[in-house]
Amino acid sequence: MEQGKAEVLKGTLDMLILKVVALGPIHGYAISQRIQQISKDLFQVPEGSLYPALHRLEDRGWLQAKWEETETGRDAKFYSLTRAGKKRLSAEMVNWERLSEAVALILSTAE
Amino acid sequence: MNGWLGRLFHKRRTEKRLDAELRFHLEQKVQDYVAAGFSAEEAGRRANLAFGGLEQVKQDCRDARVENHVQDFLRDFQYAFRSLAKDRRFALVAVFALALGIGATTVMFSVLYAVVVDPFPYRDFRRAVVYELRKLDAPRDDAVRYHYTMPEFLAIREQNDVFEEIVGNYQLDVLYSDGKGTRRFLGGYVTANGFEFLGVPPLLGRYFSPGDGKPGTPYVFMMNFTLWQAEFNGDPRILGKTFFLNGKPRTLIGIMPKRFNGYGSSLWFPMDLSPGADGTVFPVKDPTLIWMCARLKKGVGRPRASADVDAIVHRLAQAQGNPEEIYPKRFQMFTRTLLDFVVGDFKGTLYALLAAVSMLLLIACGNVANLLLARATVREREIAVRASMGASPARLVRQLLVESFALAAAACLAGCLFAYLGLKGLVAILPRGPIPEETIIGMNPAVLVFALSIAVLATLVCGVAPALHSVRGNSLLALAGSGKGSGGGFRHGKLRSGLVIAEVALSIVLLTGAGLMMRSFFALTHVDLGFKPERMLYARISTAEHGPFSYETAAKKKVFYEQVVQRVARLPGVVSATISVGVPPLDGAGSEISILGKSRSADWVSAVDLCSERYFQTLGLRLVRGRTFSNTDIDSALHLAVINEEFARIYFGAENPLGQKIKFNVFDQLPETPHDAYFEVVGVVSNFRNRGVLERPAPEAFLPHSITGFEDRTILATTAVEPRSLLAAVQREIWSVDSSAAVTQSGSIQDFLSEFAYTKPQFGVIATSTFAGIGLALVLVGIFSVMAYTVALQTHEIGIRIALGAQRRDVLTMVLRQGLRLISAGMLIGVMASLGLTRLLSRQLPGVSATDPLTYSGVVLLFLAVGLTACMLPARRASRCDPLVALHYE
Repeated sequence: MEQGKAEVLKGTLDMLILKVVALGPIHGYAISQRIQQISKDLFQVPEGSLYPALHRLEDRGWLQAKWEETETGRDAKFYSLTRAGKKRLSAEMVNWERLSEAVALILSTAE
Repeated sequence: MNGWLGRLFHKRRTEKRLDAELRFHLEQKVQDYVAAGFSAEEAGRRANLAFGGLEQVKQDCRDARVENHVQDFLRDFQYAFRSLAKDRRFALVAVFALALGIGATTVMFSVLYAVVVDPFPYRDFRRAVVYELRKLDAPRDDAVRYHYTMPEFLAIREQNDVFEEIVGNYQLDVLYSDGKGTRRFLGGYVTANGFEFLGVPPLLGRYFSPGDGKPGTPYVFMMNFTLWQAEFNGDPRILGKTFFLNGKPRTLIGIMPKRFNGYGSSLWFPMDLSPGADGTVFPVKDPTLIWMCARLKKGVGRPRASADVDAIVHRLAQAQGNPEEIYPKRFQMFTRTLLDFVVGDFKGTLYALLAAVSMLLLIACGNVANLLLARATVREREIAVRASMGASPARLVRQLLVESFALAAAACLAGCLFAYLGLKGLVAILPRGPIPEETIIGMNPAVLVFALSIAVLATLVCGVAPALHSVRGNSLLALAGSGKGSGGGFRHGKLRSGLVIAEVALSIVLLTGAGLMMRSFFALTHVDLGFKPERMLYARISTAEHGPFSYETAAKKKVFYEQVVQRVARLPGVVSATISVGVPPLDGAGSEISILGKSRSADWVSAVDLCSERYFQTLGLRLVRGRTFSNTDIDSALHLAVINEEFARIYFGAENPLGQKIKFNVFDQLPETPHDAYFEVVGVVSNFRNRGVLERPAPEAFLPHSITGFEDRTILATTAVEPRSLLAAVQREIWSVDSSAAVTQSGSIQDFLSEFAYTKPQFGVIATSTFAGIGLALVLVGIFSVMAYTVALQTHEIGIRIALGAQRRDVLTMVLRQGLRLISAGMLIGVMASLGLTRLLSRQLPGVSATDPLTYSGVVLLFLAVGLTACMLPARRASRCDPLVALHYE
C-alpha cells in the first residue's frame, strides 16, 4: 500500500459502499474510484475486499444488481440500494455517529 | 430469479458473470493507467498487481454467497462417501461398532419403555395403588396378604379420605355347560365400577354400570378377547346371548379388546356388595378374598394413603377382637403402586441392563472415535495440503464432521436392523411373570427417535475430537513430516491411549457384571434342593366341579385320592407316586404351633404338608430317626407326624423329638380338620428346600393326608422316563376315577423350577453376557487398532533398533509391554469401578457376593489373555520388520 493512504477502517467498508450506492446505480470500479475521490485519496479500497463485500451485501438483500451498458457502451454490473439496504445504511450511520462522538469525547478529555 | 436457489442451478452463468464483472474492473483500471501516461504493458502489470490474486478474489466472492455453502455441503457428502468407500475396512468396522451400540441400546430402551413407562392401557394407572397388609413381627417384616375380607373392603370404601375410586374383585372357577359338555374357565367377580375405573372401552357391547349386580337385576357378564377367540371364534353374534355359567343363565353384555387383562380373568361378573347380592357368598371359606385396587385423589401421596387405610383397618380389627387368623399381632398397611405390584424387582434388573447397555454404547463411541482419530492422523498430510491450498479451518472441520455423520447415518440404519432382530430374540427369553400381559414390546416411534438422537450424539462425540485435532495441528509440521503424522502424533497418541483405557475399563465393568450374574445363576441352579427334581412330575387336582364343597369330608377325599395315586403308581414308567398338597420347592402352608409340655411362644411356626406313605421315598428324603408312615397310619388317619431336621433342631434341640406331641393351630380355624388335636412325632427326615430355591429350609411337619377334607391335593411321581410324556396318562387315570375332576396345573418339576425360579435370572444372564461379549469384541478391535497404529508410527525407530542389533524378541516384548501398560491401566480403573458399581446390583445377585474374588480374577485373566492376543499381531509385525525397508519408509 502506498504511503499516506489508509485501508478503509475495519467494519466501515459496508457502510461506505452502501452510502456510495445510495447516490444512484453504480458499478464496482466506479465505487472504488468514488470512495477514493470523496475521501480525497485518503481511503483506498483494495479489489480483494471490495468484490467479496459487494457479493455479500447482495446476498443479504441490501444491494441489487443489474447488467447495463456504461456510457462507453460496455456491459457492466450496476449495483443499487434495496429498501432493506436503505434501512441498513441509516442504522449503520446512526451507529457510526455515536461511535465517532464517543471516540472524539474520549480523545478530547484525555488531553 | 436472483435468489441463491436460482444461482445454485445456474452455476455456470453465475461464474461467467463473476468473471465478467472482475474483468471489467481490470480493464477500467488499465485504461486509467494508460490515461495517466503509462505504457500499455506497464499499465497491465500495475493493474494486475493492485488486484492481487484474481482467483483469490473470486473465491472470496463465492464464499460470500449462501448457495455456495449448500454446494460445498453436497460436495462434502460426496467426498465423504468417496473417501469412506476407499477405506472400506475402516468404514465397515466403524459402522458395525456404532450399529451394535445403537441397536443394543434401542432394544433395552424399548423393553424399559414398554414395561415401565407404558405397560398398561389403563387410565391414570400411575395413581393406582394396591394395599399390602404387612406383619411387623420377627423374624422380619413380611407381606401377609393383598386380599381383604368383605367387612374390610366395605369399611375402607366408606371411610377412606384419600381415594378417588376403589374397586374390588375376586376370582373363581366358572363352569360353562353348553349341553354337550362342561368346561372350566377362570372367572372373576368385579365391583360394577371396575371397568370404568380402568377406562378401557369395550371392543363390543358395554361394560358394567353401577346398577349391574344389584339384587333383582338380570344376571350379566363380560368376556375377554382370548376366550372369545378361542371358544367362539370371535363371533360377534354371541353378544346379547344367554349362557349357563355355574348353573345360572347369564347374558353376555360386552367383550373387551385384546390389550386388556384387568383382574386376570377370562369372564367377569358384576359384584354389588349389598347384602344378598350375587357374588357376596364366597366360593371358599377363606374370608380374605377380595383383591382391591384404588386410585388416589390428585395430590395425595402414598404415605398419607397408607396411614389413612391403616387407621381404618386397625379400628375394624379391634372392633372384631383381633381374630388371629386374619390379623397378625402387630401389622401395618402399606401401599404399592399397581405397576410396582406387577413388575416388582424386575424393574431393577431392567435398569441394571440399561446401564450395561449404555456402557456398551460408550465403548462403541470410543471405538469409532479411536478409528476416526487413527484415520485423521494418517490423513494429517492430506489435510495440511488442503489447508495450504486455501481451505478454511471451518471448512475442514465441517468436512470431517460430514464424514462422521455419514458413518452415523449408516450405523443408525444398521442399528435399527440390529434392534429389530435383537428385540425378537429378547422378547423370546423375557420372563413372563413380572411383565404385565398387556405390555406390548416393540419398536415404537419414541424408540426410533431415540436411536436417531444417539446416532447424532455419537457423531458429535466421535467426530468433533478428531476434526479439531486435525485442524489445530500445525500444517507446516505435518507437511514437513513423513506423511504419517509425526507432527501431531504425540498428542493424538495420548488421546487415543486414553480412549482405549476408558474402553477397557468399561468393558471390565460389563464383564464383571455379567460374570457375577452367571455365578449367581450357577449358584441358583446348583443349590442342593434336598430332593431330586429330575424326572418328577406333579399334577394339581381340583375337585371343585361338584360345587364348592364336594369331597369335603376327610373320608370321601381320602378314597378319591388313594384311588388316583394307586392308579398313577401302576402306570408304566412311574417309579413312585404320592399325595401331597405343596409342590416342592414350595411346600406346605404355614401354621403357628404348640408343643405339649412347653409354654408356647408367639413365633413358633412351621410349614405343614399332608402326604401319603410313599411321600418320603418319592422325594428321596433320608430318614434320620424313627420311622415314616405306614399304610395303616394313613388308612386310619392317625394323628402322627414326621418332622424335618430343621424342626427338630429348632424346637427340640438336644431333646429326643420322637414321642413329642405337636398341635397345629391353623387347624382350629379350618373346616373338616381335627380341632385341638396333638400329633405325635414318629420320625425325623432330612431337610429339603421348602420355601423356594434360595431360602434355607424352614421347619416342616408332614401329616397323613387322610386327617382332613380340606384343601385340594397334588400328585407327585418320580418316573423312569421323561415326566412330560406321562402327563396325558396321568390325566386319564384321574378321569377314570372321577371324570369331573380337573387337573389345574401339571408338568415336570424341572419345568416348574425354570418357570418360577430360573427364567428371570436367566434373562439377566443372557442379556448381560451378550452385552459384555459385544463390548469385549469392540474393545479388542480398539486395542488392536491403537497398537497397529503405534507400531506403524514407530516403524522408523524399530528399524534403527534392529539395524543396531536389537533382537526380534526385544522388539516383540517392547510392543507387548506398551500394550500391557494400556490394558492394565484400564483394568485397574475397571476393577475399581466394578467394586463400586456391583454393590448396587447385589439385590439382583442372590447366592454370590458382589465382590466375589473368583469372578474378578476370572475377568482379569480373561481380559489379559484376550488383550494380549490383540497386541500380538501388531507386535509380531513389528518384530518382523526389515530394517532396510523401515528406514526407507518415508
